[in-house]
Amino acid sequence: MSRGGARILLGRLAPLLGLVILCIVLSLTSAHFLTADNLVNVLRQSSVNALLALGQLVVIITAGIDLSIGSILGLSSVALAMQLRAGVPPLVAVAGTLVLGALVGLVNGLLLTRLKLPHPFISTLGTMNVARGAAMILAAGVPISGLPEGFRVPFNGDFFGVPAAVIVVGVAALAVHLLMERTVYGRDLFAIGGNREAARLAGVPVSSRLELAYLVSGLMAAVASLVLAARMNSGFPLAGTGAELDAIAAVIIGGASFFGGVGTVAGTLIGALFIGLLRNGLNLLDVSAYWQMIVIGVVIVAAVFIDVLRARQGD
Amino acid sequence: MQPLLEATGITKAFAGQLALSNVSVSFAAGEGHAVAGENGAGKSTLMSVVAGILKADAGEVRLDGVALPPGDVVEAQRRGIGLVPQEPQGAPTLTVAENISLGETPSGLSLLRVIDRKRLNDIATAALELAGVHVPVDASFGSLRLADRQLVLIARALHRGSRVLILDEPTSSLSTREVERLYEVVARMKASGRAVIAISHRLEELRAMAERITVLRDGKLVLSAAMAEVTNAEVIRAMAGRDVTSAGAPRKASSEDVVLDVSNLASSRVKDVSFQVHRGEIVGLAGLLGAGRSRTLHAIFGSEKRSHGTVRLNAGGGARDIRSVRDALASGMGLVPEDRRGQGLVLGQSVQTNVNLVLPKGGERFGFLSRPTLLKTALDAIRELGIKASGVAAKVATLSGGNQQKVVLARFLRPETRVLLLDEPTRGVDVGAKEEIHRHLEGMAARGLGLVMASSEIPELLRLCHRILVFREGRIVGEMSRAEATAEGIVALAAGVAA
Repeated sequence: MSRGGARILLGRLAPLLGLVILCIVLSLTSAHFLTADNLVNVLRQSSVNALLALGQLVVIITAGIDLSIGSILGLSSVALAMQLRAGVPPLVAVAGTLVLGALVGLVNGLLLTRLKLPHPFISTLGTMNVARGAAMILAAGVPISGLPEGFRVPFNGDFFGVPAAVIVVGVAALAVHLLMERTVYGRDLFAIGGNREAARLAGVPVSSRLELAYLVSGLMAAVASLVLAARMNSGFPLAGTGAELDAIAAVIIGGASFFGGVGTVAGTLIGALFIGLLRNGLNLLDVSAYWQMIVIGVVIVAAVFIDVLRARQGD
Repeated sequence: MQPLLEATGITKAFAGQLALSNVSVSFAAGEGHAVAGENGAGKSTLMSVVAGILKADAGEVRLDGVALPPGDVVEAQRRGIGLVPQEPQGAPTLTVAENISLGETPSGLSLLRVIDRKRLNDIATAALELAGVHVPVDASFGSLRLADRQLVLIARALHRGSRVLILDEPTSSLSTREVERLYEVVARMKASGRAVIAISHRLEELRAMAERITVLRDGKLVLSAAMAEVTNAEVIRAMAGRDVTSAGAPRKASSEDVVLDVSNLASSRVKDVSFQVHRGEIVGLAGLLGAGRSRTLHAIFGSEKRSHGTVRLNAGGGARDIRSVRDALASGMGLVPEDRRGQGLVLGQSVQTNVNLVLPKGGERFGFLSRPTLLKTALDAIRELGIKASGVAAKVATLSGGNQQKVVLARFLRPETRVLLLDEPTRGVDVGAKEEIHRHLEGMAARGLGLVMASSEIPELLRLCHRILVFREGRIVGEMSRAEATAEGIVALAAGVAA
């Protein structure tokens, strides 16, 4: 293999390499790290971020950003809890929640494509506030607790030792992977992120594809709300505050490019797991929450710097 | 007498393509010097080298007999070379005065660097006075008319001590009266012992500003003379070149069935354009930069809003009006855009993805991509067009210009394509690839496609096209059959002067 090829492969494997190194360091420094219980726990804790990150990935591939997913998560969890508490059958409540998330996502897309707001940062910043406000109003600012077993078991139970949350992530990841890699829609989203003008001139319906991307992002936030509400046994209007930033971090650490056109589901899952493991490891090592923030901040900057280096080599 | 500015043996290549080949020219103080040539002749490259924006591969630039450091725009400016670009660049929300002092804004001595408004305005007033320009110093730059913006930038260059002033297409967007004002400013500058270099295609205007003329063609100096000693016809011949006789084989007359019918097309930059293309015909669009050729192609393709007119593909009985890119593609019309990297390709993605950016027939089923079909299309394209790439998965960014262009072309190498619009199809590709692309275009025409090709290279049009439409200011100002077309005739029509 040529030296250039080796370098490109190394760049592509960087997220996985980082994950492996982190695991080795944590196993050496903490006796509790490498236990089945702890690792399953990390997977469970990373699941909400992984789901949000899958949606965010779709948007970032189009060279966009979705700041509203944390708020959509909160709003969806409240809507879910209210339906369940009102006696709506779990299946119907789940479907309704998913539709709500998708609709808010669609609004994000429409603001961008129909109102022609200059950048998704602005449109999603707007819906981020609106959705959070709506969640607070609906829930009167307090958690709605006590969800029925019929809902909690399928989303918070274990199946053959595998947490339901992990299964949900697996199914969602497979779906997003197929969407992005195997369908015309995904291919168009990659093209839009890579060169919007070239995509337009090749007949890609840019507006409707972007609407789809934000819809998927909102939908994934609603899926995340199912997992979170089941684990917390409540719908909480402040759930997911700031979660969009962790999701963005996972996508970027996972090797997606902020410039658009580049990103994979596998990388994003690794990115989410990386953040989860880092938090877990730092907890085991008794590092304070404040220092954790500093470490994660440094990791994000380092990951984006790697992205910049890669982009420079690509020229 | 020693010239004020002297460029000797300037050679510059871009990606292996010679843009300037051993060009030597000198500019005298107090003299206006016109630099003329067709698009792509190397005028702007030469001026960029002189102004230190580009670093030449060989040769040197001397000011007052002292060599300038190559590729150092700041130093060139400091020593007195000022370039006023074609599109006046300034900060639109700042005032005229702020723009004139931009980068050296007068301020108090404290760390706060509070702007000294009075000195700022005094400097601007003096600079505008020097250039003989009358605009309010506190007006915002963006609110000025284009002509005034240009004059303000000339004033800025003079204020900064420019002794050589380079004007790139200074009259391209000015009205007649504004042009008169520009002449006055130029005359003033010459009277004060400065050298003025003007780049333009418009001969009459060059005559009004310059005493000497230098003509470039294909990166070589082909004429350098006193303005008074050359006729317009001589200059045009020098610009177009004489060795433009067709190398292509004679072609049989194209059949009568119309494949593309454009009638009364109008958009913001296109005015009432009508023409038809027949099966097997290649129609060329000639004209100067900004004459509306690209805009016409985009208006036909539906990628730019049309205010008036219809576009129909006549074949098989159905003749619907094309209103959008999707209409165009669905009815078998393709576009190879001018800017391959900016509009044609997704550079970070593979050859396979890019060839299939317009999906081939059978490329999808219920939204799912049919990978075997896409792979086959890509492999076919690589084979048929001879695309040199390490494989279908190679990123197009790693391909040469010629091979990148073939990737764009490959999208329309399909039975469903009936009309192909091409905008500068061989810009920035090497000679070998250019030849191959020409052969493919001829092959497509031979198979019955209708081709419309805009090109700034007149020899290319003369070689390939059955008919040439000449554009000026958004209109078709002339049509020539292959038999009657000459380079001189096209250049004269495009520039609006008698040959």
